[in-house]
Amino acid sequence: MKVSLNWLKEHVDISLSPEELGHVLTMAGLEVEGIEAVGQNLDHILAAKILEVTPHPNADRLSLCRVDTGTDIVQVVCGASNATEGVLAPLILPGGKLSDGTKMKEGRIRGEISKGMLLAEDEMGLTDDHAGIMILPESTTPGTPLSSLLPFPDWVFDVSITPNRPDCASVLGIAREISANTGKPLKSFEHGVDAKGPIIDGLTSVSIQDPDGCPRYAAAVVQDVCLKPAPFWMRYRLFQSGVRSISNLVDVSNYVMLEMGQPLHAFDYDRLGENRIEVRRAEKGEVFTTLDGVKRDLDPETLLICDGEKPVALAGIMGGLNSEIHEKTKNILVESAFFDPITIRRGSKRLGLSTEASYRFERGADIGGVISSLNRALYFINLLAGGVTAKGIMDNYSKPFTAPRISFRPEKANAVLGTSISKSAMKDYFHALEMKVVEDGNQDNLYVIPPTFRVDIKREVDLVEEVARLHGFDNIPVLSPRITPSEGSESPDLLLRDKVRTMMMAFGFSEIITYSFVSPDSVNALVGETPGALNAFTRIMNPLTVDQSVLRTSLIPGLMETARYNILHEMEDLKLFEWGKVFFDRENELQPLEKICLAGIILGVHTEKSWYNKKRPVDFYDVKGTLAVLLKGLGLEGFRFKQEKDLPGYDVSISSGIYCDDTRIGLVGFASPEVIEAYELKMGHVCLFELDVAAMLSALPEKKTFVPFGKFPAVHRDLSLVLDRRIECGVIMDIIKEEGRDLLESVHVFDLYEGERIDQSKKAISFKISFRSDRGTLDGEAVNGLYEAMVEKIGQKTGGKLREG
Amino acid sequence: MDNTLKDQLLELEKRANDEIDAINDPSDLEPFRIKYLGKKGALTSLMKSLGTLSHEERPEAGKFANQIKVNLSRHFQDVKLSLEAGRGGDVAPMDVTLPGREPLYGHLHPITLVIKEVCLIFSRMGFRVVKGPNVELDYYNFEALNLPKDHPARDMQDTFYISQNVVLRTHTSPIQVRVMETQKPPVSVIAPGKVYRRDSDVSHTPMFHQVEGLLVDRDVSFGELKGTLTHFIHQMFGSDTRLRFRPSFFPFTEPSAEVDIRCVICGGKGCRTCSHTGWLEILGSGMVDPEVYGFVDYDPDGYSGFAFGMGIERIAMLKYGIDDIQLFFKNDMRFLNQF
Repeated sequence: MKVSLNWLKEHVDISLSPEELGHVLTMAGLEVEGIEAVGQNLDHILAAKILEVTPHPNADRLSLCRVDTGTDIVQVVCGASNATEGVLAPLILPGGKLSDGTKMKEGRIRGEISKGMLLAEDEMGLTDDHAGIMILPESTTPGTPLSSLLPFPDWVFDVSITPNRPDCASVLGIAREISANTGKPLKSFEHGVDAKGPIIDGLTSVSIQDPDGCPRYAAAVVQDVCLKPAPFWMRYRLFQSGVRSISNLVDVSNYVMLEMGQPLHAFDYDRLGENRIEVRRAEKGEVFTTLDGVKRDLDPETLLICDGEKPVALAGIMGGLNSEIHEKTKNILVESAFFDPITIRRGSKRLGLSTEASYRFERGADIGGVISSLNRALYFINLLAGGVTAKGIMDNYSKPFTAPRISFRPEKANAVLGTSISKSAMKDYFHALEMKVVEDGNQDNLYVIPPTFRVDIKREVDLVEEVARLHGFDNIPVLSPRITPSEGSESPDLLLRDKVRTMMMAFGFSEIITYSFVSPDSVNALVGETPGALNAFTRIMNPLTVDQSVLRTSLIPGLMETARYNILHEMEDLKLFEWGKVFFDRENELQPLEKICLAGIILGVHTEKSWYNKKRPVDFYDVKGTLAVLLKGLGLEGFRFKQEKDLPGYDVSISSGIYCDDTRIGLVGFASPEVIEAYELKMGHVCLFELDVAAMLSALPEKKTFVPFGKFPAVHRDLSLVLDRRIECGVIMDIIKEEGRDLLESVHVFDLYEGERIDQSKKAISFKISFRSDRGTLDGEAVNGLYEAMVEKIGQKTGGKLREG
Repeated sequence: MDNTLKDQLLELEKRANDEIDAINDPSDLEPFRIKYLGKKGALTSLMKSLGTLSHEERPEAGKFANQIKVNLSRHFQDVKLSLEAGRGGDVAPMDVTLPGREPLYGHLHPITLVIKEVCLIFSRMGFRVVKGPNVELDYYNFEALNLPKDHPARDMQDTFYISQNVVLRTHTSPIQVRVMETQKPPVSVIAPGKVYRRDSDVSHTPMFHQVEGLLVDRDVSFGELKGTLTHFIHQMFGSDTRLRFRPSFFPFTEPSAEVDIRCVICGGKGCRTCSHTGWLEILGSGMVDPEVYGFVDYDPDGYSGFAFGMGIERIAMLKYGIDDIQLFFKNDMRFLNQF
């Protein structure tokens, strides 16, 4: 809510500077988001009288004005049609600045000298009016500085209103808070009018069919009003509060809404069928055109204001075109009502129509302020539009409101706040907030009755907050918390996550975080033609874009996209990982399965050429090695890599599952050509991996147990084989492990050769095998026995032979 | 110890020392090393004969022989170095300015770093880290937090809906309810996580991160809320950071307080970052509203507590001087490499 300081000052004395006031409001819970000075640059603007207007010789739309500046008579060029002889208007002299920052200079316009410029209101930042130059009162003496003619200086406060304080969406509400926090009393203001018209009972009636939706509806009638623009001071305040000026009558209802917080509506009395008001729910299929010209389909969610024949307004939201005030309006009916907040909110949501009125009603208007606001409006209507006011107000208060009587324990308030505020100080706070306080006999307790405008005060705890606010949050002591260690332990994946992140970082991987939502097409390159598990999307009903319309089922698209982005920015050697959730829609479940995954990508160069290394691109064994160390480092044992085809997103020939027993805990391999193409990367050497964190966790041994290390020396044997190229290394290693039995300590592949020196269909592979016993120093003979058994078994199973020489 | 062996060793040492001292040409160094210290050198073969000694004699003799080897090696190195130096640096000493063989080191995402730091501060105070689902029931995200269906405060957060009663959580606060549902007081937890709001512009991303905190016990006061968060801010931003608590509104806390710190950019003078107020909003907090206790079956007269929540991107931006929130999710290496 934007509000002018001078307007606030009409309701409460303020001796604070604008900055100090801003601080007081902010610390009272009305956060001031900005303070804007208005009318501060009017120094070079003064009142000037137009003495003579002649046509501009070189431009049809311009004229030359000779104006009296009080000390001089100068010529200015002007284009406004209301610049006529005898009127007074603001004149900016060379050296002055317009509100948009333009500096005024003496110059020639189409060849004619102009020593300044006659100004419209918008050029001074006062209102948005640009219909013509601003006309000043006839009594003004030429040469008077404009700043002394207008209520300046002024400041506009931009106050953020929390949803619980609709009462503060008004000048009066903010003034009340200033009063409560500074001790300055509220001022009285003009309201009501000496009604000289007929008694209202003979002019209209109000019937309410839905007292729950509309507990109170008051109406007044004014006859023979004169429709015209509102005066400058009112238009100025509306403009500073962000409301457009329409006409004196419409402006009065907006002005009173801003000032009192009570939305009002003025109907053309003569356009109301049978001149009466009826409040009812809309029927299904009913159609109504609001005054913005939009035809709206209604249903019983919406409350309607009707006349004797038809709907004339959407209650609490917007008036109708059919009863709107127009040029020929003579008689008006002014509505001031209280509508049920939930009803207004539902109607407003249902229609997608939110207005200043619905904003206030859905948060809660002041049912006790209905009549005083109406009287304030009648005062301004009489002042600005004349007319004759009907005697009395038609006040249908069908469902009277009872203010809550809240039991309040000062001791409890002090316990909750950590303070020792006296009971009498608390009573003073409540009185300052216009609350009634009743002593509870002998008890220490109080009963507090909040005013009708404080719709947020219903419970003891709400009063505790009021005590805290008025006491000042700053004055509540800073206490050390007493924290009892709480039961339960942290989720195991959180501990794992920290370890994984640290290790991945040490392996040279950088962490990325991508959006949880993706395009449904993002898995197309992974799954191919036939949808699979990755297509079990959780869909967002109201996505921002199609590209963010489903929850991801894989981390791969995010990694690929990140790779593409970085390559486009000339960072081509990448090692990235993401730890995050993927989501799988489940039948018969409201929420999807949320699975935590670790995934990564390596591409480009593994080692750059350097003084000690040759350049080498990344390959499968870089990722495999990383994962093996990662898994071992986490404490996982006995995992193995098994070649697998048809893994979504992976190359058919270079892809592997990672298994612990029979459970697949992850995937690793080259990205498939389809995936590489989809992300416009270069073919080859894009390695991916994914690990399922839950599967990893369940494969982890429950606890770490120390294993005593061998006291006796190890015996090593080298085993060099020549075998068919298609025989997997793992097969040989399995045989070695099996035959080495409990004496085998480790197997290390130290050479692999494929080339000219051996048969083309063969490869040579060499292992270093270590044996150790925990019972004694190994006897060379025993080891030789095992070694020979291995060679024999390898020969039988794979045809592999010892390599000669 | 066998004096013969000892004499032999001493004699060998003397001979070798004399010989080293006589060397003038660096090319004579290597033949000398092979002759005495090499695998098949004189000293080595003499040491091999230690095996013939008795069990009792062996350790002492071994020690003696080894000492001679150490002395000889040292003498050899000294001569080698002085010869090389004498030759006017013909053989250059090791170039320590040549780049070392550097292992590749990765980077953690700044959001991760900040979450870790926040969680560490609270863990040290005694809070336990917990988590909750990203796709949350309306009940936990709104209703049980005292945000019924027709509450205007729902407008404060633009929500992504999965179905009528399922949303992408708009804050980490539903975790409060889930924890209280399963655990009786005392409760002290901290809950980091991703949250989602239907909002995307220069200063908003539709996904971001929050950390939520909750403490419920007997007689917890607003003063302790102030103490806890003051400690946190002093740890996070430095112990001279000024802060203020000001009244605000959250449906699930009463009283509610927004916590501001003195602008870290301008020090309070007023700048663009703090919208010329001199203060930066860092945390939302408050005493848990009794209405919430009703949903989790806690006795509002027996227990009290406080909750707080903070946006991680905002803290990271202030901490590292990042001026564009979009950078967090672009994952540009030029950005990530800096953390």
